[in-house]
Amino acid sequence: MNKLMWQELVTKNPMLIEIARFRRRFLSFSGSNALNGVVLGLAVVCYIGIVMLVFSARGSLPPIMLVIAQTFVFVFATPSILYGAIAGEREKRTWDLLLAAPITQDQIVVGKFIGAMAAIGVGFGLFLFPILVSAFEYQTTNWHDLMLAEIVSATFVTSIATVTLFFSARTKRGFMALGTVLATLAIFLLIVPLLAVAVLQDSILVSLTNFFHPFFVLTHLATTSVSGSGEYIGGMHDFSWGWPQIFAYVISSAIFLVWTARTLHFAENDVKFLPANKDA
Amino acid sequence: MLEVKNLRKEYGPLVAVEGVSFNLQPGDIFGFIGSNGAGKTTTIRMLSTLLEPTSGTASLNNADIRKDPMDVRRMIGYMPDFFGLYDDVKVWEYLDFFAAIYQVPTKQRADVIDNVLELTDLTVKKQSFVQSLSRGMQQRLCLARCLVHDPAMLLLDEPASGLDPRARAELKELIAELGRMGKIVIVSSHILPELADFCNTVGIIEKGQLLAFGPVNKIVEGMQPNRVLSAKLISNHAEAARVLTDLPNVLSVEVAGDGELRMDFNGDHEQQSELLTLLVNRGFKVIGFREEHADLEDVFLKLTTGAVQ
Repeated sequence: MNKLMWQELVTKNPMLIEIARFRRRFLSFSGSNALNGVVLGLAVVCYIGIVMLVFSARGSLPPIMLVIAQTFVFVFATPSILYGAIAGEREKRTWDLLLAAPITQDQIVVGKFIGAMAAIGVGFGLFLFPILVSAFEYQTTNWHDLMLAEIVSATFVTSIATVTLFFSARTKRGFMALGTVLATLAIFLLIVPLLAVAVLQDSILVSLTNFFHPFFVLTHLATTSVSGSGEYIGGMHDFSWGWPQIFAYVISSAIFLVWTARTLHFAENDVKFLPANKDA
Repeated sequence: MLEVKNLRKEYGPLVAVEGVSFNLQPGDIFGFIGSNGAGKTTTIRMLSTLLEPTSGTASLNNADIRKDPMDVRRMIGYMPDFFGLYDDVKVWEYLDFFAAIYQVPTKQRADVIDNVLELTDLTVKKQSFVQSLSRGMQQRLCLARCLVHDPAMLLLDEPASGLDPRARAELKELIAELGRMGKIVIVSSHILPELADFCNTVGIIEKGQLLAFGPVNKIVEGMQPNRVLSAKLISNHAEAARVLTDLPNVLSVEVAGDGELRMDFNGDHEQQSELLTLLVNRGFKVIGFREEHADLEDVFLKLTTGAVQ
């Protein structure tokens, strides 16, 4: 990526207004939607609960367990934040204005993505506080594995964000995008692993399914990660857990991001999941 | 200058726009008239580069809508027949966003935003959230958005729909001002009186075909080569009609339901005056006499079949 492209897509991308919009919508009590304020209030209460739980656990809570909890929260939060990113533009009929303006598809997609990641990043930042408290108090924290778990969580959530953006770009209604993403996640995280275990049992396919399953990976890291040299078999010594999954999530994110940008060639009223014509 | 040549759009077997051609010069305010579904919006969406024409093309200042869509987009301000507003941004942020998209230099943006807000009379709402504006204000904000990059051409699709009379009057004045600023303005509407007031050129489209194009008065004259005179009498309408039919400049006479005599007349004003004198001298009790002027609505109704609703 050269400097000009970096400026066009990131530093001087007008779509970065999305950061302010996401902040107002999801991280502010004075936003335009009262429901968002209620959800934010509940999130704040839950967050305070988690922090209090960590303090009361007094070192008995492994920090990677909190990373697992964080990932679980963002599996639902990320589609909820992003489902309307593009489909919502169609619903509000602002989409035509963007398509009729001298802005590239890449700028639109990257701007939406950065805006959403900024909101998610704030969430991750908030989660970092109890995780660090837990890590400092937990006697046998392996910082490498904790960092690895955090990156696994972040890259998996990023891939969810890009998948959501993709479905948002390819559906006409926001809730259709949300439903599709949640169904996809349910298939990937729940149905396929259960079916694999029930039908295939100890085959290589079960191992493969678990290998890319973020919760399986995080649980594996949590159970094997012990500070010191004794029985340690965590990520620092076993490179098959952590980095391959991170790599896979990053690659899938890049693929979905590019795919999303390449699908934005149809105007508001010509939405087709597999568009035959390439208007606008 | 806008040159539209044989623009055509097909949706499968349906021909939405069929061979539309016209030229417009800077300062022209072009009223695009047609029934719902006649092809106005499709034409405007093609000119805005949102839809690719099936055939034909259009160019704005030598930039082709098919070959150079980005160049065309930089030169147009497109206002669709809906507001298209983000509800969680402030008025100035909304304009700043589009100014950035249209590559208005950062240092100039504050001044540009102030100018368009002043032009659209929204300065006091600069810090307000978009969703808090009234419908008329939102419409003006949409127009302000179209102006942030000083476009050469404005495409306004049904800009006055849903506005109250005051907001309509303000919008009309604003569009007239934009024409005086040298911009090409294309305004589509099916409310004809609002277009006749400020458009210097109109085009009538029906079933995708441009049936008439040109200055309002020339189109009206073209559709009505003879003048229509109307005389209101107290009685003896049938006899008066017979008398008038025999006059050399009267082409036809009909007695309307309200007892008024309407005649096609190809004489001048002097002969018109003589006609009135004759009626009075023959003893007909004339209580009203006037020339009926055809308007855009009459022309539209004559030209269109009304098959498309």
